[in-house]
Amino acid sequence: MALSTQAIGKLVRRTRDLRQRPRFARGNIELWANLIILSWSAAFMLWQGVGFAIQVSTFFAIWAILAVSLNLVVGYTGLLSVGHIGFFGIGAYAMAILSSDASYEQLRTEAIPTFGWPFFAALPVSVVLAGLVAVVVGIAFNRFRDDIYVLVSFGFAVIAFNIFLNWRALTRGAFGIHEIARPEIGGWTVNGTFEYLILVLVFLAIVVLISWFIVTSSFGRVLTAIREDEQAIEVFGYQTAHYKLAIWVISAMMAGLAGALFASKTSFIDPNSFVLLESILLVSIVILGGLATIWGSLLGAMAFVMLEEGMRFVPFLPAEHIGQARQVVLGILLVVLMLFRPQGLVGKFRL
Amino acid sequence: MSLARIKEVPLVLLLRFREHHSRALATVLTTAVIAYVGWKIVQSPEQALQFAFNGLPVGAVYALLALGFTLVYSTVWFFDLYYGAAAALGAYGVFYLRSQDFLGGRYDVNNHFVNIVFAAVVAGVVAWALHENFHSRLRSRFHPNLPLALGVLLSGAVGIYVWLVLANPSQLNAMLSPLIGVMVMAAAAWVLHRAWRRLSLTTSLAPILAIAPAAALGAYCGFLVATTPESSLYLSWGVSCVLAGAVSLALYRGLYVYMRLRAKSPLIMLVASLGILLAITAIITIVFRAAPRPLPDAFGSDVWTVAGANIKAFNVFAIGVALAGFAGLLLLLKKTAFGTAVRAIGDDEEVSKVVGINTTVVIAVVFFIGAVFAALAGILSGHDTAIQPRMGLLLLLKGWIASVIGGIGNLHGAIIGGFALGMIEQFGIWDLAGEWKDVISFVVLIIFLSFWPQGLLPRR
Amino acid sequence: MSTKLDPRTFALETKAISKHFGAVKAVDQLSMSIFSEWITCVVGPNGSGKSTLINLLSGMLPIDEGIVVIDTVGIRVLKAHETPDHGITRTFQEVRLFDQITVWDNIMVGLTERRLFPSLLERTKPRHQERAEEILRSVGMWEKRDAMAGDLSYGQRKLLEIGRVMALDVKIYLFDEPFAGLFPRMLERVKDILKEMRRQKRTVIFVSHNMDIVRELSDHIFVLDSGTLLAVGEVDEVLGRSTVIDAYLGH
Repeated sequence: MALSTQAIGKLVRRTRDLRQRPRFARGNIELWANLIILSWSAAFMLWQGVGFAIQVSTFFAIWAILAVSLNLVVGYTGLLSVGHIGFFGIGAYAMAILSSDASYEQLRTEAIPTFGWPFFAALPVSVVLAGLVAVVVGIAFNRFRDDIYVLVSFGFAVIAFNIFLNWRALTRGAFGIHEIARPEIGGWTVNGTFEYLILVLVFLAIVVLISWFIVTSSFGRVLTAIREDEQAIEVFGYQTAHYKLAIWVISAMMAGLAGALFASKTSFIDPNSFVLLESILLVSIVILGGLATIWGSLLGAMAFVMLEEGMRFVPFLPAEHIGQARQVVLGILLVVLMLFRPQGLVGKFRL
Repeated sequence: MSLARIKEVPLVLLLRFREHHSRALATVLTTAVIAYVGWKIVQSPEQALQFAFNGLPVGAVYALLALGFTLVYSTVWFFDLYYGAAAALGAYGVFYLRSQDFLGGRYDVNNHFVNIVFAAVVAGVVAWALHENFHSRLRSRFHPNLPLALGVLLSGAVGIYVWLVLANPSQLNAMLSPLIGVMVMAAAAWVLHRAWRRLSLTTSLAPILAIAPAAALGAYCGFLVATTPESSLYLSWGVSCVLAGAVSLALYRGLYVYMRLRAKSPLIMLVASLGILLAITAIITIVFRAAPRPLPDAFGSDVWTVAGANIKAFNVFAIGVALAGFAGLLLLLKKTAFGTAVRAIGDDEEVSKVVGINTTVVIAVVFFIGAVFAALAGILSGHDTAIQPRMGLLLLLKGWIASVIGGIGNLHGAIIGGFALGMIEQFGIWDLAGEWKDVISFVVLIIFLSFWPQGLLPRR
Repeated sequence: MSTKLDPRTFALETKAISKHFGAVKAVDQLSMSIFSEWITCVVGPNGSGKSTLINLLSGMLPIDEGIVVIDTVGIRVLKAHETPDHGITRTFQEVRLFDQITVWDNIMVGLTERRLFPSLLERTKPRHQERAEEILRSVGMWEKRDAMAGDLSYGQRKLLEIGRVMALDVKIYLFDEPFAGLFPRMLERVKDILKEMRRQKRTVIFVSHNMDIVRELSDHIFVLDSGTLLAVGEVDEVLGRSTVIDAYLGH
């Protein structure tokens, strides 16, 4: 929000200075992107009513956690990872297995281990698990760069998806896992959609705060320098491998958090939520919103969710094609952005 | 001044161990793999042969993908992810043209709306291409409206022809026979012309003598095609390949050219082509639905048995296509002026421009060829298994892996890498279930990149 | 100038270091001793291994054979990220700035915490800001502090790169062609910076092709030719030797 108030302040100042008018008209894509997306979302939610707004905001919050976490890696560190959905999935499955109800599972023929933990016990474990996997993956990936990094991160997403799908003894494959626990605070279960939204927004706020803390620290500055020239920053005594690994793990833990929240929200997961395509969509959100800004990721997630909901009101578009139509729009948006604005709508880093 | 002490290499970190001993580790890994495969072969040679027979056609598909991928990559130095979409386009092109014919038209998707839109797009592209290439040249020579009218007529005719072809898929052979005839005639005339030149016969009868047999041959071929309905399937292969190639060419000419002028890093191109892949995959899903579909049986669904192992004739054909594609590409790159130009552009595009190579045209042709390879791969794999819209992304990744394993930017590496990947996948799932194939290929990729980042055959 | 012959300590010594690229010996059994608190110049014709030497000393390339001695400690494996701990830093022949961050942040990178976790907790400190301002003023970039480094002109980039290594408080500075392609005014500024470093008792090693500047600045000179040491000594005397002149004229 700080950024948007700044932008509004800038607008006021600039409109006062008439000589600046032409430059203002040409160069303020950031401001317009902010204005359009925010006002569109607000108007849309007001129009559609409270229930809709709550649902949309919950999905926005989960996507936003993911996008902010991925932006730490893609935007700040310059590693174009397309595999982030893997950590999302690990978080979700960890939450599912740890917290799903054992009694329900026994009804099924194929028994998988379930623990029936409460939400707040399973959450940190899911997050840490995603982090641990990220340590291993990060050590293996640390030496890759640029397009090869894209390829191996594709690989991580594919491997993760295949494990979710095919390790049936643990995940029950395509059947998915049911009855995932709802959060419980002191005997009071967070069951209503509004309460749940508040919970997710609190976690989003925590993630944004942590990210903000990271990127404004000396650590964040080193990350941007690694993005620009990894060899040159080593000469200044920074062990870049450790920095990359650290941000990768932090980012993965945030994605794991998003996954755990998602699993608990839907209370049922199957591998289809973690396909490679979702991962590509996630990268598009980050690029669309803006690289190397936290606000951009929030904006991108909002635009993405609104795009999907907005598609419902396009005439002649059958309901089953909405997802595909959104994909077409996102694909074309990516091309246009790469042509004219490689840093995304409000970004600070051109790919 | 004397040394107080010598600071030794710190005895820490797996990371460093990997750096210093990667060769040793790589050797251990290789021996382990060879030992495993050897043990398996000794254990049951027949089964091993069967696995090899399963792996080769898959490898052929990967090799085709890797060939096209490598060709394009070593020319423009960015990874064009459209290749996935090209493979899917190729397979779905065949499906679209043949869906009426097989399974009693159960999956018939022929759709007037799609036909008309597609024909209009083709007409538009033709008009644009004509305008770009000829309008300015012809305008000065003739009345300004004449080229315009001709262009409109020509592109309109092409559009109508395309619409006719699309609207009558059951008579595909009949619809395409004039085109085949003309193409055969042109090819024959060209060959005769070359022969004439070489014999240096100069008579005034030359044109007639050349055109008459060429026309006869063309007409005969056209007739032959028109009277054999079985040829429809193979014609649809050609149409699909041309379609995928044409889309690639249009993408390059209409988009990548401008983008490359601005792009500072290959990642921009990669993300843009990822966007294209997303969009095309989604459009295919909208038109054809997400569920897997079969392709009609091609020839050779009969099974041969060699030394106790089975292989389908079609799979042998697939291997042949891959080898032929490799040989053709090699000839094209090594023996022709075009190949020299391609390699020059790969070495240094700016210098190639300075020495007078029309880089835009050459690269456009490279994009066309690359996409045709991808489409062929998509078709072959579609006939072998089934097609689904997201096959493109997976095939693309496999082709990418194969070219990385073989050595990025090396044609020999591409074909070796493709077949190697196919075999690795098959032998890898010997003790695992078949669904772990993708995991195996990516694990192999990561191992390869860690120990042999240059691939099997590094580029010179 | 006779003081220059005083026995001094060595800031850095190489003992028979080699670097091969395939069959090419870029640096071949090179032993040299760099006097501390002097400006040392490394000259040599193109391809004589000057840049490779700088890359070896800064850990950008692994040393194939031999050791580097810094402060009586012999080092076999010099890692790039460990060089500041040994008191070495460098600039690059082709300027390598962090293009898409500001000039200010480019300087700050050299000043802030290098260890992973402390850097996560560190915010910008006043003493860092003071030092950064001092450096930016001394290289004349203070007004440009909020510009993106990638938007600067070539000369400004060169100056900023020198400013960036000044931010690092080390004993030995390696400059790879700090004077190449600079306007006279900027050239003077770089010269002043190097002289100031000598006054502050830093050791400076630089590579240059500009013999006037070499004569003006250097206390000590090494002449390389195809990876080996051709001549060592005081500038005027060494540059007058016939072998050196021959090497430069390509006989």
